[in-house]
Amino acid sequence: MRLTLRPRKAEPDAPGVHPEALWSLQPRSDREAGDAVTSNFMFHAFPAKVSKASMAWSYSFWLGTISAALFFLLILSGLPLLFLYVPSVERAYQSVKDIEFVITFGSWIRAVHRIGAHLMVIAVFLHLVRVFLTGAYKNGAGRGQRREWNWVLGVAMLLLTLFLSFTGYLLPWDQLAFWAVTVGTNIASSVPAIGPTIRELLIGGRTIEQATLIRFYVLHVVILPLGLGVIFAYHMWRVRKDGGLARAEHDALAEQPRETPVVATKTYTLLGVARGQAPVIHARSLEAPGTTVNAVPDLVRRAAIATLGTIALVGIMSVFIASPLEEPANALVTPNPAKAPWYFLWLQEIVTDTTIRIGSFTLNGAFVGGVLLPGLLITLLTAWPWLDRSPAMAAGVWLPRIRARQNVVFLLVVLGILVLTFIGMALRGPYWNFYWPWEAWPDIPARI
Amino acid sequence: MSEMRDRREFLVKAGIGAGVVGLAAQAVASLRSLVPNVSYDAPTTVRLGPPDEFPDGLKFLPDQRLFVFREGRTFHAISAVCTHLGCTVRAEALSNVQTTGSGSGELRLTHRFLCPCHGSEYKGDGSNVSGPAPKPLAWYRLSFAPDDGQLIVDLAAEVDNDFRLTLG
Repeated sequence: MRLTLRPRKAEPDAPGVHPEALWSLQPRSDREAGDAVTSNFMFHAFPAKVSKASMAWSYSFWLGTISAALFFLLILSGLPLLFLYVPSVERAYQSVKDIEFVITFGSWIRAVHRIGAHLMVIAVFLHLVRVFLTGAYKNGAGRGQRREWNWVLGVAMLLLTLFLSFTGYLLPWDQLAFWAVTVGTNIASSVPAIGPTIRELLIGGRTIEQATLIRFYVLHVVILPLGLGVIFAYHMWRVRKDGGLARAEHDALAEQPRETPVVATKTYTLLGVARGQAPVIHARSLEAPGTTVNAVPDLVRRAAIATLGTIALVGIMSVFIASPLEEPANALVTPNPAKAPWYFLWLQEIVTDTTIRIGSFTLNGAFVGGVLLPGLLITLLTAWPWLDRSPAMAAGVWLPRIRARQNVVFLLVVLGILVLTFIGMALRGPYWNFYWPWEAWPDIPARI
Repeated sequence: MSEMRDRREFLVKAGIGAGVVGLAAQAVASLRSLVPNVSYDAPTTVRLGPPDEFPDGLKFLPDQRLFVFREGRTFHAISAVCTHLGCTVRAEALSNVQTTGSGSGELRLTHRFLCPCHGSEYKGDGSNVSGPAPKPLAWYRLSFAPDDGQLIVDLAAEVDNDFRLTLG
């Protein structure tokens, strides 16, 4: 789609020298489009050209962009919360209560932060599912591609997202927080030999106290976002190095590569260093002619729609969905039932069901379900690009027949996680007993 | 010439080495500072009050996460910390009282214990019967204070389930 071009006030004096503000948003020629990428700070991470196939809404669903937009929004909505939240066990709960009920727009900002976080877990997970099902971690024909390593970074970022959520939901220091830390750090403690030491390091002592809160706070607001930001930057850099967004160049992989005419693929003004000089790079493109479009404005437009749409959705949802705050943390009473947030319920379900007894020997489900099984799952997930032996042509398309078996196995694991999550959400009642959704829970006194 | 290059190489390596050592020292110091040297734990030996304050049957002490049982003149204490992942179990009174053990270890089971986090279930003597709990609830040593006769629990001293403290 081409926007109708407004007449410019003035023609450029020379390539790369544009008197009009915002010219780079609406380039009027391939040369201006190429110029825009090197002249506009916001666009400097983009390639000059993008393949149409990788831009399709129905191919990637733009889940990576949506994840990034949510991360950006979480940093933005986290900033005012940084001014308002007090990381002390005496005052944390009250400060969150103030954010919720006293501070103007406080509840909305908190809701944006919370819903953004929930959606980010979903978006990052779905992004990973999409990349798996389309085999987008497979390399194309270009040299030096390392897409499998970008998959590994992606798995790391999913874990960081989950850990960010974990450290975030315990900051209010309410009942949910306290018992989540208790259970979470006891899972760490179940590792043979080194477990108790790990727990002591995590919570800064032997009891869950001020030292614990400040540790998780610093992790949540500094270390994990910084780590995620750095890995994200490297992730995007790798996407460029590996030769494109979302999928390998497909046409170049066909058995008899078409001889493409030499075309001007890029027009640079040498990163704006040499003004007025505009070398044109003539090269054979890995993509067939006509399969690419200029990144500016086509890619920019779609990225903007995905980003703004995400921000709008979160903003509107946050008006209608209030953030819960449980009772203040009470080390003396465990809530009944004590449920983890929805994205950890499958783990809660697994640690419930995996205590293994062989004769007099017992293996705690905390270790089997909380450490061994998730560890195995993450290891398999990380190593999958090297285990996937399907041909390169199987990449970049949804559910190709040749990858049917591994896609089915993957989807079964995903389905298993979803089923366990559903059981935890809807079918577990007091004492973690099984109840149908239409069954009433028995009355159980708040204390023994 | 080669002497010159040797010196340059040496200086470059020395520079890189100094940088690595400096950063490593900083990293070690930073990480070590996060390992606590002192743990300000609550005392493990706690006075629970005069024996008269404990009625026949069960009394839950939330601060110590402890159930103290009294059967006539004998006392015993069972931890309320679930052995699976550390939630506080709740006691539920049984409608029909059972007896277990024999001799000095005989015990009336008036309650059972249930965990709200993952559904572990324990019998009244703390033994695990169902759910993910890997082992029985801990029993702790009880004693009377020599000065004022208060009941004392030692949360660092686990005992077998035939332990009884008898009021003299």
